[in-house]
Amino acid sequence: MIGRRRIGFVALALLSLAGCAQETRITRVDSGVVTDLSGRWNDTDSRIVAESMVKEALEYPWLNNFSSSKRRQPVVVVGTIQNSSHEHINVNTFVTDLERELTNSQKVTFVAGKGDREELRTERKEQAMYAREDTQKAPGKEIGADYMMKGTIATILDEADGTKAVFYQVDLQMVDLESNAKVWYGQKKIKKVVEKKRSIF
Amino acid sequence: MTAFVLLAGCGPSVNRYLLIDAKLRVHDLKGADAIVQQAEKEYGDKNRVLYGMDRGLTLQLAGDYQQSNDVLEQAEEELDRLYTRKIRTESLAFMTNDTALPFEGDPYEQVLINVLKAINYVSLGQWQEALVEARRIDHRLNVLSDRVQGKHAYRDDGLARYLSGILYESTGDVNNAFIAYRKAYETFEATRAWSLTAVPSQLREDLLRTAEALHFTQELAEYRQVFPDTTWESSQSLQQLAQVVVISYNGRAPRKEDQFLDLPISLNALQLVLLNRGMLQQNRQPNQAVDTVLYGLNGRVVRVALPRLVSQKTQAQGDRVSLIPDNGTPVSVQTELVHNVTALAEKALSERMAGITVKALARAATKFAMAEGVTRGAQQAAGKDAGPWVGLLVGLLTKGLAVVSEEADKRSWQTLPDEIHLARAWVPPGRYQVQTSAGGWSDPLNPEAMRTLFLEPGETVLLLQRVMP
Repeated sequence: MIGRRRIGFVALALLSLAGCAQETRITRVDSGVVTDLSGRWNDTDSRIVAESMVKEALEYPWLNNFSSSKRRQPVVVVGTIQNSSHEHINVNTFVTDLERELTNSQKVTFVAGKGDREELRTERKEQAMYAREDTQKAPGKEIGADYMMKGTIATILDEADGTKAVFYQVDLQMVDLESNAKVWYGQKKIKKVVEKKRSIF
Repeated sequence: MTAFVLLAGCGPSVNRYLLIDAKLRVHDLKGADAIVQQAEKEYGDKNRVLYGMDRGLTLQLAGDYQQSNDVLEQAEEELDRLYTRKIRTESLAFMTNDTALPFEGDPYEQVLINVLKAINYVSLGQWQEALVEARRIDHRLNVLSDRVQGKHAYRDDGLARYLSGILYESTGDVNNAFIAYRKAYETFEATRAWSLTAVPSQLREDLLRTAEALHFTQELAEYRQVFPDTTWESSQSLQQLAQVVVISYNGRAPRKEDQFLDLPISLNALQLVLLNRGMLQQNRQPNQAVDTVLYGLNGRVVRVALPRLVSQKTQAQGDRVSLIPDNGTPVSVQTELVHNVTALAEKALSERMAGITVKALARAATKFAMAEGVTRGAQQAAGKDAGPWVGLLVGLLTKGLAVVSEEADKRSWQTLPDEIHLARAWVPPGRYQVQTSAGGWSDPLNPEAMRTLFLEPGETVLLLQRVMP
């Protein structure tokens, strides 16, 4: 009788434990926490690279040279960031990170990029047709950028026996829109090693 | 009995592919995709990669390129995870059959995932993303050639390299295009004997054109010597033209079936096998249930199942595509064979056959030894009186189970075509009507709309078509 009770108790315990096991577990973490799950380009890479490269770009002499000669902040636009990597990187989030860092630096005047400009111009055209005259925004008053920040995200891959080394290289450059002179060239490298086990139990 | 029923249910549904073929024949591409979608649960967890492959292709044919890429990406990620093998799963497969293992596909099928994704991205107009796939193809093939030894093995892929070259050249990266074309040429040459695919004449022109554009005088001279009769247009003269790339999926990929080897280990068993085989030849229908009972009762027959490839060769030898402008002379192009899927499948199976056979024999021997052990144990436990009957019953069950559980791994990417053909043409910009000898452009939403093209200078347009049988 006691034996049967014990068996019943153990079975019940096992059942309750099985009930506790969850297939999906969600934990909220701070957005600054590094989460390297697959080894691919992720939000942390995008943020860290944007922060450090914009900081570096704004420390170089081109900024002071421009400000002292023109007596105003330079106007910067973010151009194309080309993805030359082995991954389908959402370049837009990286561009947004760059734009945020540039805007928040308060050292440059940042103007909307190509995609945003199209939308704004369409809005102005519609205003000209449908909005009250005293509230319409006239065309031809946009601020032209002095510099364009553009660049590439590239990768070099090496893989053998389940170990993969991924080397990301982000190159950014600040180009004078009048003279095509490159006033700043920045580079950030990230190296990750992804190791996969050949067998598990 | 439950085990018998469960094991019998392990095999993939063959009817699924017959239904898909029937839909493709009548150009009901959405219908073909719906069959794969509805069978998602039937594929099961072990066949996530196979589902992604099958569905990725039917979605592409149905014109849903974005979703096709989503499922192909999932298949690729699953493949990545499958690098780590689970000992539990491997052990289970050793005790039953290889269908208990997760499907990974052969290397040529894995490469085709990236090829299809690249085609999807081009169809979506996302050329930079298509280039990501070209880079992934390069990486996948580099890892493969490092891993695989043997000059005549499948270590590189002519179509994948050629398509990469077309992508690079179409986006202005002539240097990478030349490298890809050169690798494609070398691969076509090296694998010609077994891939049954000659170097496409278009590729020769591409090599000469890009070598000239890059001022690679030595390479240009070498290729001119190798292809003395090939003429080509310079890159400069093509700049103001529009490019049309035609990719044609012709026929059906080969399927696999079981090839049973019944190995008798006594004279009595030999007679039974010969008698059973003789009956089978008359009926031409192998009967698993009859074999299970007969061999289970005899107890001295070991069954080994090996996969055998059944070719389903296409009748289409190449398609003529005509581009008829509103004003001007029509342009006619002939597609060329660039990928012989059946030949690749045969090569892949022949390379793995030795391993499959050794494993199948070891599995059969283990199953027989275990069944023998269980039968003798049961006989002894039953005692002198009931022993013979219990032995017969347990023997029938255990040895019958060993026979019925034997099944070859017949899984393969069966929504693939038998052959892939390709053609390139450069035409003046403008509006064109497209006519094909095979008929039926792969756009189920509006088949007529696909027959009209509006081409801009420097633009590249990809046309996909599915030709059955």
